[in-house]
Amino acid sequence: MKGLAQKLRTGQVTSVQLVQHYLDKIQADDPKVQAFLYVDWEGALAAARASDERRKLGKPLSPWDGIPIAVKDNICTVGMPTTCASRLLEDYYSPFDAAVIERIKRAGLPVLGKTNLDEFAMGSSTEYSAYHITHNPYDLSRVPGGSSGGSAAAVAAGLCPWALGSDTGGSIRQPAAFCGVVGLKPTYGRVSRWGLVALASSLDQIGPMGRTVEDVEILFSLIAGYDGRDSTSLPDAAYHCSASGPDTLAGLRLGVPEEFFGNGLCPEVAASVRRAITLMESLGAQVQPISLPHSAYAIDTYLTLVTAEASSNLARYDGVRYGKRVEADDAWDMFRKTRTKGFGPEVKRRIMLGTYVLTASHHEAYYEQARRVRSLITQDLEDAFAAVDVVVTPTTPTTAFRIGEKQDPLQMYLSDSYTATANLAGIPALTLPCGFDSRGLPIGIQLLADHFREDLLFRTGRLLERILGEVGE
Amino acid sequence: MISRAEVVRMAELAMLELNEVEIALYQADLNRFLQSGAELRKVNTQEVRLSSHVGRASSRMREDVIQRSLPQEKALRNGPCVVDGCFRVPRVMEDVR
Repeated sequence: MKGLAQKLRTGQVTSVQLVQHYLDKIQADDPKVQAFLYVDWEGALAAARASDERRKLGKPLSPWDGIPIAVKDNICTVGMPTTCASRLLEDYYSPFDAAVIERIKRAGLPVLGKTNLDEFAMGSSTEYSAYHITHNPYDLSRVPGGSSGGSAAAVAAGLCPWALGSDTGGSIRQPAAFCGVVGLKPTYGRVSRWGLVALASSLDQIGPMGRTVEDVEILFSLIAGYDGRDSTSLPDAAYHCSASGPDTLAGLRLGVPEEFFGNGLCPEVAASVRRAITLMESLGAQVQPISLPHSAYAIDTYLTLVTAEASSNLARYDGVRYGKRVEADDAWDMFRKTRTKGFGPEVKRRIMLGTYVLTASHHEAYYEQARRVRSLITQDLEDAFAAVDVVVTPTTPTTAFRIGEKQDPLQMYLSDSYTATANLAGIPALTLPCGFDSRGLPIGIQLLADHFREDLLFRTGRLLERILGEVGE
Repeated sequence: MISRAEVVRMAELAMLELNEVEIALYQADLNRFLQSGAELRKVNTQEVRLSSHVGRASSRMREDVIQRSLPQEKALRNGPCVVDGCFRVPRVMEDVR
């Protein structure tokens, strides 16, 4: 991204040319990939023209002014639809921009359009979109992952230079790993959720996706920051890009939790991640085994909490204030018919599960128990970060699976086995590509750090990315 | 095991209408989900404190200052049925006359 910024600064390229390039790419390649739900052909060019005017006057809004971006369609944007890939919100136009959109507009980034997702971000393959399936650019017969599959596929296919996603249990990192791009789930409270359509409010975070660790760090610095409209926003949320440090990981304590390398992990993924760990060791990192004993419960804890919170959050879709309404004589009938017609099967499944775990008779046994186990998982990580600086794991148990391969929802949920832990604990987690399997599909490695230590993730990720490039991965 | 009647009750609470096929499907899904999460309920959590917040987040009140909110016209724009500055819905109260 620094190269693009340099070209814009020196006049080698204009924002209009840049935006036109990506629009041409979208026109040519998106019919195959289907990453976008909406492309703002005219709005993106208008924003680019405004950016070029600012540059002519010597008043760019930021070094990145004029570099376009794609946005997941559960983030509210004025002037274009925000559908959450649901039929229920088919005609919904948000009357306000999400806080992150305000921030990227203040930095001068034209928005190319809105990317596909699983309906209301519930899924791990983007197959649960009510509109169309997105395809993995590495193999069009495979899924891009999800729920931010549209954003990941758009970056991987070169349809945009970077993108925004959201991550509740792995929805940035799992698709980033499947599509061979970089993605960050920030510390909970560091990026405002104001204007992000809520799935599970105690887990959701918006985060950046891009082609390199450096690009993701730059985009993170643009979107992080305190926002009084999000009651969980942290006062010291802002992030400033770290200066490039020494070319060594000397002194970095790297923890490898063996629980993440057991049953269910594809051997090719394990081998690739272990090779990356060896490379980090060669850069001076001190690698040590650690244990996260409650991580085996992460996915069930996550599912209990996410369904409970989702059933509550999605109660707002009643056909009164927004969204499609199915008319009926009686108000209760109208609510039921609207929700029944508007929600897809996976959304209904999660609402049903969530309603069950929140009922008075099951609340203590399921929901409260999950909250308590969440505390144990968080404590495991606190103990780990007393001994190590960064925890390293595979991002996903497998590489991208075939479209239609996972018909069983429980199997689909296991895609998030390694990523949900970071959401439960609220810590930051970065995924970057670390190799390919024998089919040529990308493999991701996940780095976890303590709250507010994104700087450590970016520093470690940059060096790992470089050495992987040097050895030809 | 979750019974058919419980699934129907959940659907009522969730404001969803399910046909027979869906009732059977969600009954099976709910049972499999609860079976898979059985281990979770065996974890000893008697001594575990329940935290309402994630990480360093905590409840904070913002300053009690009047701020601009959405104008009425914008707030109503997405309403499926808007009449005289209000969202119109079918009758909610029963006629008591």
